[in-house]
Amino acid sequence: MSKTVLSVCDKCVRNLTRVNNSSVHHARTLSAGVKLSTKHRRRLATSQAPPVFSLASHQLSNPGQDNAAVWRSCQSRGYRFSWLNGDTGVSKAVSEAEKIVGYPTSFLSLRCLFSDELSTVALHIRKLVGTKHPLLKTARGLVFDGKHNLQMRGLLVMLISKAAGPNPDAEYAEQEMVSGVYPNQRSLAEITEVIHTANLIHKGVVNLRDVLPEDGPLSDLEFGNKMAVLSGDYLLASACTGLAKLENPTVLEKIAQSIGDMMTAEFTNFSDASGRPEMPDHCKGLSDWLSQTYLSIGSLVAKSCQSAMILAGHSATFQSMAFAYGENMAYAQQLCSDLLPFLRRDELSSLSLTSAPLYMYKEQATAEQFSRLQQLLEAGPDNYEKVVNLVTGSGVVQQCKDLCGQYRDKAIASLGCYADSEAKEALINMVTVVSDVR
Amino acid sequence: MAATCMSTRALLETAFARELKNVFLLGYACRSNVTSAPFRRNSFSVGCCPTVQARQIQTNIGHHHLRRCCTRHNHVHCRVSLHQPASSLSTFLSGGKTSGFPLCSVGSENAGQERLYSSSHEDAVRAAKSVTVDPYKLVEFEMASLASDIKKLLSTKEALLSTMAHHFFDGKGKSFRPLVAMLMSKACNAHNLNAESMLWSQKIVAMVVEMIHAASLVHDDVIDASDTRRGQPSLNKLYGQRRSILTGDYILSEASIAISKTGNTRVIMILSSILEDLVSGEFMQLGSKEDENERFSHYLKKTFRKTASLIANTCQSVAILAECDEHISEMAYQYGRNLGVAFQLVDDLLDFTSTTSTMGKPTAADLKLGLATAPVLFAAQQHPELHAMIMRRFSNEGDVEYARRLVEESNGVEQTRLLAHQHSKEAERSLQDFADSNSKRALILLANMLLQRKK
Repeated sequence: MSKTVLSVCDKCVRNLTRVNNSSVHHARTLSAGVKLSTKHRRRLATSQAPPVFSLASHQLSNPGQDNAAVWRSCQSRGYRFSWLNGDTGVSKAVSEAEKIVGYPTSFLSLRCLFSDELSTVALHIRKLVGTKHPLLKTARGLVFDGKHNLQMRGLLVMLISKAAGPNPDAEYAEQEMVSGVYPNQRSLAEITEVIHTANLIHKGVVNLRDVLPEDGPLSDLEFGNKMAVLSGDYLLASACTGLAKLENPTVLEKIAQSIGDMMTAEFTNFSDASGRPEMPDHCKGLSDWLSQTYLSIGSLVAKSCQSAMILAGHSATFQSMAFAYGENMAYAQQLCSDLLPFLRRDELSSLSLTSAPLYMYKEQATAEQFSRLQQLLEAGPDNYEKVVNLVTGSGVVQQCKDLCGQYRDKAIASLGCYADSEAKEALINMVTVVSDVR
Repeated sequence: MAATCMSTRALLETAFARELKNVFLLGYACRSNVTSAPFRRNSFSVGCCPTVQARQIQTNIGHHHLRRCCTRHNHVHCRVSLHQPASSLSTFLSGGKTSGFPLCSVGSENAGQERLYSSSHEDAVRAAKSVTVDPYKLVEFEMASLASDIKKLLSTKEALLSTMAHHFFDGKGKSFRPLVAMLMSKACNAHNLNAESMLWSQKIVAMVVEMIHAASLVHDDVIDASDTRRGQPSLNKLYGQRRSILTGDYILSEASIAISKTGNTRVIMILSSILEDLVSGEFMQLGSKEDENERFSHYLKKTFRKTASLIANTCQSVAILAECDEHISEMAYQYGRNLGVAFQLVDDLLDFTSTTSTMGKPTAADLKLGLATAPVLFAAQQHPELHAMIMRRFSNEGDVEYARRLVEESNGVEQTRLLAHQHSKEAERSLQDFADSNSKRALILLANMLLQRKK
């Protein structure tokens, strides 16, 4: 069976690069003229099932099958369905933007995922089922990531490339472009995604000495670490090769710096050794939050956008404006997601100690007020509602909303140097939807 | 001793302005600024450099030598000692990365040593004939600053990250890889540039290689769940697995930044292929081949990717930086590849013959990890019962001890040594087209020395 699935899914992949992104299409292509076992079709229908689990159960029930094929079928399937799970506003913006650059970004890192190396990981990963190793969650996220907009970085790079247009100094520059984007800018978009994914995977390595019995057997978690390290390394190595192929040392330097920044972000006092968020004792307030957000998210987006300009030989102004767009976009998006628990009750559980409103509260509240807040936070999730009420009552939430709007406006303003185009329109649209706090 | 107030950057700019071909930074400084200085003295200092936080750059140049080189070879070799990272010097040297000053060797202050790093080719040949070369001695000066230069590259404002990233650069390691890189640099420069010194870009390659190696060690220790490294607790033992991995990535990112500064896209490409080889080698280690005949080639391929690729590609990179022709850079690559394979073979056999105290890591470690290395694969030819153990990765109780005994009873270790010997000879042969130099001799000696190493 796996062979059929593979060929069907490959066909879908090819088709999808040309036609629209609706998941309906995928289902249609799948059912068109191909006999699928009911089991497989059911699984396609229930896209909520984590693919890694289904991969694993598939493995267990059909030993000796072509694992790569199963992995592939899970991959291509999951990508199509991901927008259904996501925030509708964002996914609409993303799919519209994808059409502009003529390339579904969902396939950006697909080449990496199809390699023998990662198929090996997929083969081994089934051992982790039943444990709480974060690699499982990350692998699942790779496939169903409606919420975190995993592929958005690559899309932004391509959109800004298109918005900036062809190299002003090159004579036949436009002929090299496909859908208004240079091939090396597309590679850069792919590299950005791959680096982000590698970082997610490596951040999911667990400290074995902190493992609790309910997390699963130690040997399995140790194995999970091994897989996480190897697959992350594989992605990083392919990103490095990709960067080398761009043949632009400045771009290599920028992107390498952003990798360094993301690593540095894990050593600040914003998180403990296991990566759990911690509010630092000596923080000064929102400025700390901003620098942390820059290191952990902004740097990669900003430097990728800037590098896209460098690759096309654009002016220093274009470069710094692209950087500014990426940076402000990251702030706006992060502020928006930090605000969610304060605005929507169903998001309450995602309240983090390092969210922007808490930093702003610390800046403005008296030491007494803040220590009360801290006590509430430490007492656990049951008190989160009280925390939210306390913070909202102080007016901080409204200030954060305003700030989010300001960063959105800054991002939009930095696009001023580009001529009006649908790509620019899409960039404005993207930053508007991700910073949509209501 | 004459002091000038001109900054190094200003000197560079003047040099560029005059469009002197083969400008020799310090030679030029000498002529234009120290004209009245007593030339018979062997050293002078170039004044403060504002761009490097007013630290003094001291230069030692032999005047006689300088003049002779200028007239006969148009070359001046000098030693620049400075207190700050080589990287920042190289950064502003790279500002004008072209024909500039191919013959500066950069290093940190080496206390009390007033050694002159300038020798014409004839000098080198003469010296090579009279003195027996010690590979480590030959690059002692460059090596002395290696660890501290890397540490400076890896310093960040986050104290914990700095501490963790510095962990491997305590100067206690063998530094085998940078040693090869440095000697090969000098051998290539002697061959092609008629000067046995190092370019700053080659020095960067030596640093990058050590950094890539360190990052791979950090990751390997997590993958192998190893608690010790070089006789000390491993990074993951001290700080946990998660931050160890991220530290490894950080070291890698800094290495990439450093290499981007050389501006040589071909070298960047070659060095990035090292990473892919390392990872795929690690993946190969996950599985073993069913077919006994395939197993040995699988092992050799893995050995190339995990160890030899790094050394081979480094050697090729420094040859390219020395602007050697295709043939010589290919030979440099072959030297590195054979040396690397021989090095790993010896490492694998020491795992069977050495004791824990000399190796600094527990012996029979490979067996315990389920890995079948050359001695076992050779032994399996005489003791077929090993095949089953190889397939189950020595996982049964008593497998490790039994396999070890079988290897002792067979001639697996000798055969491994013989194979290493062949590779070492092959490495030596790769160098035959290189011009004679101390460094070439040292490289040959190195290939032979590693067969005798005990740890």
